[in-house]
Amino acid sequence: MPDNWSFVAAAYAVAALAFGSYWRWLGKKEREINALRGRNAAGRSTAGRNDAVGNDRASRSQQPSMPGHPRPEPGSKAPIQ
Amino acid sequence: MSTALGWLAVAGLAAGLGMGFGVAPREVTQGSVQRIMYLHVPAVWVAYLAFTAGLVASIVYLARRRPAADRLAHAACEVGTIFLGVNIATGAIWGKPTWGTWWTWDARLTSVAVVFVMFIAYLLLRQAIEDRERAARYAAVLGIVAALNIPLVHFSVYWWRTLHQPPSLLKPGSSTMPPVILAALLVNFAALALLGAYFIARRTRVLAAEEEALA
Repeated sequence: MPDNWSFVAAAYAVAALAFGSYWRWLGKKEREINALRGRNAAGRSTAGRNDAVGNDRASRSQQPSMPGHPRPEPGSKAPIQ
Repeated sequence: MSTALGWLAVAGLAAGLGMGFGVAPREVTQGSVQRIMYLHVPAVWVAYLAFTAGLVASIVYLARRRPAADRLAHAACEVGTIFLGVNIATGAIWGKPTWGTWWTWDARLTSVAVVFVMFIAYLLLRQAIEDRERAARYAAVLGIVAALNIPLVHFSVYWWRTLHQPPSLLKPGSSTMPPVILAALLVNFAALALLGAYFIARRTRVLAAEEEALA
């Protein structure tokens, strides 16, 4: 029977492609998560600074509305003409 | 730890290639195409081990509801699916010159295809359900059911008439394989097992970091 080296090469190439692609994909996921962590950390430090000067939008949005001054809801706004 | 495993896997793969192409002789009847065996057979053994780890982790998750067990089950089943995919692809490539066909619906090939599709469904199920706890619970049940099919794959060559040959090593009695071929096969198995362990360790870490970042 002939050696069929092309089939041997194809089999090892398929395996290298599969394992190499998965390895690269894992690296990509790690970089994405690190970037997300960096953004989260930056967001927390910005929020901390804003809290210090009493200018945190997130906490302000959670405060109850003052009577007589209803907060406009997005749905109640007139569409832009 | 996973970095050390990665480097060990690289060293093991280099040794495995050396054994498969340098030390092991050309097989008499099939010629050099038989060297695909050093990849095809260890890939399915590693897939079996990964699915067994996934089975145990899924049972632990259902019993204790520990997120770490779910992460291990997810990583092990994902890595096992990749190794099983490599096993099926290399088997098809080996089948063409030796059997004259890429694929045939015999019991071994059909049963392994069913298990592969079940684990693809397992991974899709995890993506499809947004609630993490519910996804983990459903996936654990599917992972257990899918892993329980592995004995069916292994014994299919005994229970039905198949084109696929019976096992040469994982069988009762002593091996009929020449020692040098057996050694090459075991070195390649050790290399792929290290690679699988490295992938599972790294994927588990990525899943933990992902949950932490999204919490």
